This record gives sequence, C-alpha cells and structure tokens, in this order.
Amino acid sequence: MPVRFSYGRIAHVILWCGLALASLCVSIPKIYSGVTQNPLHSTGPLHTCDSYLKFATGASVAAKDVISIFQSTTASKRIIIFTRKDDAFSSGLGLTAAYLASPHLVRLFEINGTHPDNELSKMNPDEVAAVVFCRINRPTWLPAGKVFGSGLEVVSMSEKVRR
Amino acid sequence: MTALALLGAFGTFFVAGYGLLTFLVRRETRFSLTEQIAFSWLLGTGAVSLLLWIFGLLVHGAVLPALVSIICLSLGLVGWRRMMPRPLRRMPNLLEIFLGIIVFLEIAIVFYLSFVHTLGWDGLLNWEIKAHYAFANGGVIPATYFSDSGRAFSHPEYPLAIPFTELWLYLWLGEADQFWAKTIFPIFYVIGTFLVVALGRRFTGKTWIGLLMAAFLFFVPQITVEVGSAIAGYADFPLSIFYLATIGCLFCATEPKNDAFFRLYAACLALLPWVKRDGLILWIVAAACGVFVILRTKRSSRHFLALFPGLLIICSWRFYLSAMHAPQAADFLPMNLETFSSHLDRILPLFSALLAEFHNLPTWSLFWFVVAVGVAYLLGQMRNPGTPVLLTALFVPIVLYLLIYVFSSWPNYLEHVGLSISRLLLHVAPVGFLITLLAVSRRRVKSPAPVHERGVTCTMAVSERTPVVELA
Repeated sequence: MPVRFSYGRIAHVILWCGLALASLCVSIPKIYSGVTQNPLHSTGPLHTCDSYLKFATGASVAAKDVISIFQSTTASKRIIIFTRKDDAFSSGLGLTAAYLASPHLVRLFEINGTHPDNELSKMNPDEVAAVVFCRINRPTWLPAGKVFGSGLEVVSMSEKVRR
Repeated sequence: MTALALLGAFGTFFVAGYGLLTFLVRRETRFSLTEQIAFSWLLGTGAVSLLLWIFGLLVHGAVLPALVSIICLSLGLVGWRRMMPRPLRRMPNLLEIFLGIIVFLEIAIVFYLSFVHTLGWDGLLNWEIKAHYAFANGGVIPATYFSDSGRAFSHPEYPLAIPFTELWLYLWLGEADQFWAKTIFPIFYVIGTFLVVALGRRFTGKTWIGLLMAAFLFFVPQITVEVGSAIAGYADFPLSIFYLATIGCLFCATEPKNDAFFRLYAACLALLPWVKRDGLILWIVAAACGVFVILRTKRSSRHFLALFPGLLIICSWRFYLSAMHAPQAADFLPMNLETFSSHLDRILPLFSALLAEFHNLPTWSLFWFVVAVGVAYLLGQMRNPGTPVLLTALFVPIVLYLLIYVFSSWPNYLEHVGLSISRLLLHVAPVGFLITLLAVSRRRVKSPAPVHERGVTCTMAVSERTPVVELA
C-alpha cells in the first residue's frame, strides 16, 4: 500500500522526532551518571543496613553485631535511642538502630546538643534494655558500651549497670 | 537453593495471578503473552499479599505459607483448565526486533541498577521493615509494632501489598534478605514495559509504537535512577504500574461489550489502595472514571459492583488499623473545611512548586512537555469516552495531590512538597505514556484500528474469535 505524504504528516513526524531527540539529549547524561556512579555493594541479608551504618560511621558489616547486642538483652524492655536535632547522619543512625532493635519496643529522643544527661537521669533503668547514642556523647557515669566506627555506641543495661 | 526458592516464590505469584486472570477473562478475549505475564504478576502479587494478611489473622508459622501456596496452586489449576485462547502469532518486522532489543537491554540495566543500589530510605524503613518484622514473627506483623510509638516513623498505617510481596520471598528463602527483596522492583519495571507495549498495540494497532514508548520509559530519570524510582524499593513505582493497568483496561473497556477488560479494570482498581495509602486518591479518580464509562456506554447497573472489592479492602484495612490501635499519620492536619479555608494562602505557592517540578529537567527530562503536546493532540477527540478517561486519570490526581498539601502539618509545607511531589507525579507518569502513544499514532480514538495491522486491538478483542480474524 503506497504511503501518502502530506504537510500535516511531515510536520507530525518532525515534531515527534524532534521531541524524542531532545528528550534523549537531556536524559542520557543523567541516566549515564546514575548507571555508572555506584559500585557493587555487598549481597548479605542485611546489606542495606550495613551500607547505611558504613556510610554514617565507617564501620563495615556492623548490622549483625548491633542485632546480637539487642538480642542479648531482655526482650520485654525498651531500647532508648538518642539522636541529635538538625543532624541527618544522627537521625539516620537512630532510625536504622530502631529498625534493628526488633522485637524490643523503642523510644527515640531527639535532643539539642550532644549531652543527654537530663533525659537519661529521668529514666527508670529497670525498664531499659539498652541505650543507643547516635553521634551523641555517652555520659561519663554510664559504663562504656560497644562502639561501632565513629558515632554509634550501644550500651547494654546489664544488672551491674542498673546497680 | 536460593535460585529454587526465588523460582518458587515468583512461580506462585504467576500461577495465582494466571488463575485469577483466566477467571476474570473467561475465554472472551485473546491476550498476548506479554499481557498474560503482566496481568498475572499484578493479580498474583495482589492476591498473595492479601491472602497472607487475611490468613495471618487466623494462623501463623509454617501453616501460613503452606495454606497460601495451596490456594495459589488451586488458582493455577483453575487457570490451567480454563486456559485462554492462544494469541495470534505473526513475525515481528525489523523495526520491532530492533526496538525489542533496546527494551531488553534497558531491562537488563534496570536489574543491574537495582542490585548495585541499596534499598532507599523509605524502601527500608517504611516498607521492608514490615516484611522483616512479619517474617521474624511467623508471617504476621506483631501487634506491638502497630502500637509502638517509637516506630511511628515507619508508618504502620501503610498498606501491605509491597511488604507482603517481600515477605512471600522471605518465607520461600527461609530468611529475611534485603538483597533479594529488591528483585521484585525491576520485575515491576518489566511488567510496566510489557503493559505499555501491549496497551500500545491495543490502542493503536501498531506494536512498534508500544515498543517505542516502552523504550522511552527508561529515559525518564524519575523512573530509572532518581529517589523513589523503580530501583529504590519504594511503593510508588509499583503503584504507578497498577494505575497504568487500571486505566489501560478501562480505556479498552470503553468499547461496547468488552466486559473482560472491565472485570480486569475492577480487579486492578481494588488493588490500588492496597499498594499505598495514596492509592486511595487514585482509586477515587479511577472509580469516578469507571462510573463515567458505565453511564456513557450504557452498561447495566450491575457493573457498579466493580467498585465493591476496592471499598471492601479500604474499609477492612481501616478497621484492622483501628483494632490494632495504630497511630494516625502525623504529616497532615485534620481534613475539614475549617483547616482548608485557614490555609488557602498556600494554593498559589503550591501551584508554582508544581510548575517548577514539571520543568525539573534532571528529574523528568522533557517528559511533561512531551505529555503536554500529547494532551494537545487529544483535545480534539473529547467525544470519545476513552479520551476524557485518560485526561482525567492524568490531571485529577495531580490536582488532588496538590490540594492535599494544603493540609500539610509540616512547619515548612513547601519542604514537604519538595520531598514528595516527584514521587506522587510518578504515579500518573505511565498514563502520560498512554496519552503520548495515542498522539504519536495520530489514531482517531473512535475508529478501530484496521485489521490488516494484524495487531490485537481493543475493538478486535470482542470479535477476534470470528473466522475472519482467525484467518487474518
């Protein structure tokens, strides 16, 4: 069947070819950088959490260790997590810690500054399984916990600490 | 073992979905292989996630996946017995082969991208978290999760289609694995391309236009590489594919007596609010379009029952949340006239934020400009019921999404807009592709595509089993 040409058809083809080409010109650099900028990450079951923890603290493959600390504490007690206001890294670490803290209930405290003494002093230690400090300084009266890279510290509230 | 487990998990999705598809289509319509795969996946993920939720109210542990598997296999058996007529076969031409290769390469890149990226922030903390906790609790989300104020950040009120699709993988794998959970999202991309190709052929009678549009999906950065894209583990892209299927089926159902597509529309419509909370807005819009089509095509009043499954899911989920004492979302103020009138001053800044988003080239490239040209083409065809359906499905959700921000409780509501508007626009972006492919084809929507194209079109679908078409 012969193809019939008309000015309308030619204008139509030129319009859509032009739009397609222009779209490709704008998109390709963005898509190319998106495809090439990321190296292959680890493939473990917790690989997203590991990547977040590495990004925020520098600690490698830390998610499993954080979970094992939480699992060693009494499941019926809460995990208390301290994060810093206006600090995206701290907030991200806090939420990742809350994710990993299951099946414990969690309580997130977002504080001004880096010293949570006031909030900690108001808590009943018998109701707390562990305290997590995300880019926050641990009060000196609390025993040292397990430190992950720079900025994440998990203090398990053993019987000794409560006394 | 992992490969076998994944095969089992994906196989049950497709088997259950195929069973439902044959039940809905009832041998009335010939479906291409791409359509069968696409609808089987969408219906399968919806069915499995709903079954996991419903039976999770009664049982947990090993019984739950066993029960759901038995139902999936039973559905598959039904599908086998009612197998649909085979699609008409023809040799693809050179252009179609070339475009097919491009689409295949793009799909491979999307798989690669999803494996090298982690789950996005919301992908982990809003969606995968529910799958992870449910897996650790025998397949059921623990009641304490809903009432724990410390985990309100993860939006316990969000529906479960995506988390429970991930959970199904975990139940087959035997462990909660964030790496393999990501595989479901590029599959939604594959399903999106299949739907664009198949609907393109049905809308225009030309396969190459569908393939061309599917190839261009890849070149919208918001779909492939941006935050909330198809690789990030967010629910936005899957929701956009469910919406594409819903509106595409409704468009095909505008042809008289095409009830197979109307039943498929009803099934996809019901799943919209089950994928994401924002799906409720898409459900309202798509349901209104459905009512319009029923009235315009003078269908019987029993077709209004199509709205019932979606309503049932919406009400059941609300009831479940209130029974679990789940916290209310804190991102929005109470939605009433008083709040609306006291925040009317936000409307103009919101519109300018939306306009700025439309020409945000790093996120959208020229996509919205192209869609605007496509809309201009279709404006002359408003007498056909399919055209207002497509335009309403594109524009009304955008307007409603924008109005929702009037109720934003964020101190800086424009920051709220900036963080989420691109993902909300993603929900309707595939419908923009449908509009564009109609415009590119220059096909008058009203007139059926000629049979000599040998494509399967909506119009042909109702009469394609006649000897004439069989011979064609």
